[in-house]
Amino acid sequence: MASTGITPTEAAAFRRGTVDGRKLTPQEREQMMKSHLPDEPLAPSSLSQSQSKSQPQRTSTYNRPLPKANHGPLKTTIHFLLYHTIAFFFSVFFRFRRAWRLAYGKMVAVMKYHHRTPEFIQKDVKRLRRLPSHLSVILDYHESDEYHGNAGLEGLLNDVAEIAAWTASAGIPYLSVYEPTGVLKDHLKHTHRTVSKHLEVYFGAQRKPTISLRAPHELTYSPPSTPRASTDSADERQHLTILLLSELDGRNTMVDLTRTFADLVQEGRVELDQIDSRLIQSELTIHVCSEPDLLVLFSPTVVLKGYPPWQLRLTEIIHIPDNKGVNYQVFLRALRKYAKAEMRVGR
Amino acid sequence: MESLHKTTLATWFASSPPVAWMFRQLRELLIGALRQGPIPRHVAFVMDGNRRFARTHHIETVEGHNLGFEALARILEVCYKTGVEVVTIYAFSIENFKRSKYEVDSLMEMAKTKLEQLAQHGQLLERYGASIRILGQRELVDPEVIKSIERAEALTAHNDNTPLTNPTHPKRTFSASHITQSIRRQMLEVIDEESEPSSRSTSPGSSFKVGKSTASEGHSTTATAVETTAGTDFDKDDIPNPVPYYLDLEQMTERTLSDNMLTAGAPPLDLLVRTSGVQRLSDFMLWQCHQKTSVVFLDCLWPDFDLWHFLPVLVEWQWQRKKLSEQERGSRRIKTD
Repeated sequence: MASTGITPTEAAAFRRGTVDGRKLTPQEREQMMKSHLPDEPLAPSSLSQSQSKSQPQRTSTYNRPLPKANHGPLKTTIHFLLYHTIAFFFSVFFRFRRAWRLAYGKMVAVMKYHHRTPEFIQKDVKRLRRLPSHLSVILDYHESDEYHGNAGLEGLLNDVAEIAAWTASAGIPYLSVYEPTGVLKDHLKHTHRTVSKHLEVYFGAQRKPTISLRAPHELTYSPPSTPRASTDSADERQHLTILLLSELDGRNTMVDLTRTFADLVQEGRVELDQIDSRLIQSELTIHVCSEPDLLVLFSPTVVLKGYPPWQLRLTEIIHIPDNKGVNYQVFLRALRKYAKAEMRVGR
Repeated sequence: MESLHKTTLATWFASSPPVAWMFRQLRELLIGALRQGPIPRHVAFVMDGNRRFARTHHIETVEGHNLGFEALARILEVCYKTGVEVVTIYAFSIENFKRSKYEVDSLMEMAKTKLEQLAQHGQLLERYGASIRILGQRELVDPEVIKSIERAEALTAHNDNTPLTNPTHPKRTFSASHITQSIRRQMLEVIDEESEPSSRSTSPGSSFKVGKSTASEGHSTTATAVETTAGTDFDKDDIPNPVPYYLDLEQMTERTLSDNMLTAGAPPLDLLVRTSGVQRLSDFMLWQCHQKTSVVFLDCLWPDFDLWHFLPVLVEWQWQRKKLSEQERGSRRIKTD
């Protein structure tokens, strides 16, 4: 409490509304507040006046009008210098922190390498208290190749395939991949082939989990060539559903849904009262996807990039700060964090 | 015993007027410095961790909420002084009604007294152009609390329309699995609009809200949040327009929905801060967390949250923005080449 710069009397007055056991009147309160109030913002008319009079070029340096444009030049200089000092020190700090985190990440990656063997991954997740039943990831489509050689469609497909393999190994049945531009959706066949091949590398041709690839508003793609029920062991095979999402499935779908509902109401086929969050929920679950339990970000910061908003209600959003690019240690650490997190739902 | 002695001595020293004054000056200086860089226009906070704070410090839960409110006041001060335009705060959710009656009641009591106190300082609020809006499903709240909410809102509603002088509209998102609800509400509203002949001028822009508040005598629940935003451009309704107006469905866009959210009129959300280490959105600002919103999860509990925690967040945000704009500039240069 020391660093707030508020004296005990003031704090007590704020908390209880009393000073020395006596109730404060509004006037007294304002009197007490006076020293804490910021400089008064200038009224629009007086602001333009003072601008034209004394400091015509001052506010033009800002993009938009700020409330306190009436500092002295000395103070502004001090603030300017201080801002750059702070920015400098923080940027040094951020760089060191990033270096440290990257080093740590690399260490974990080396210690916990999966060797493309599902058993290793299973061993890693075995002791976790709970696993998500629906995992979601956000991936980026890079046009240029500055990001560790995973540019273009090939890089993206490789990432998807890797993640699918880890997910299948960990025993999570449902994976959704959000990628804003939606290139994956245009190449369903290609994606299916790549993922399937990749799973074969991990599991071997015999134990390879079956996959079905889906995108909202499109038919499920599971090619007929998948050998089903050929042997007895085929029935025990794991199944992985992969759902591809793009920016269109976010806000746009909500808009479309609103339109549809509005249309139905206008025609009088649906009562207004029938439209509630349950209905919307079920519609969106059918047309897009259910709520994921865990959203893993492979980006350095949490930016959702237009992820479908409705589905994110209670999703655990986990990222590893300063990480760049898809790798197994992020996946594993996210699962671990998820296992530790507790759900209280308001209580 | 000695350690206790030391801490009391330390508190005495730290809270003595000259030291407190020094800290105030330091805070002012830092805030002034922050203002030199880019500042988020719209910040949202989730006040999480009041109860855990109370538990770890062995004080009553209600006292924890009180301290949380103080933290809120401090952070609003910082936001105002740095020039943040809109602050949205997650104060109370529908799920929270599951808590003990005593706790809920005292929270409501707190909201009521604070709002009433606020209402006594109309002039002051006006001078700083502060405006308060409480968003959410009000019908769930006590009628008395609603009364004070409405008074406080009515008092500050008109401050909205002078964008030059009011950089801050502290808002308390009062109830409810807020965004889920509001998305639904928005649907309802939009549909309402279209399905019911509403009498209003069809001027583009602000027409939505205006129409709404006339059409919805019976739907007061859906109207509440929007009415406050309607502000002054409200008087055109006395010209009844008998033609039933349907919004063209083809014209409905993301924008339409955004404009019908409870946060209508606010700039896009730049930064969302959630304390106490929980990494979920919990129904808060789901729609608003869009393309560029930075979401920050902090480990500290809300009553501890202060400038000292917020400063690194803001500086990092500024740093990221700088990097982002550099990147954009770089890619643009590549494209033009």
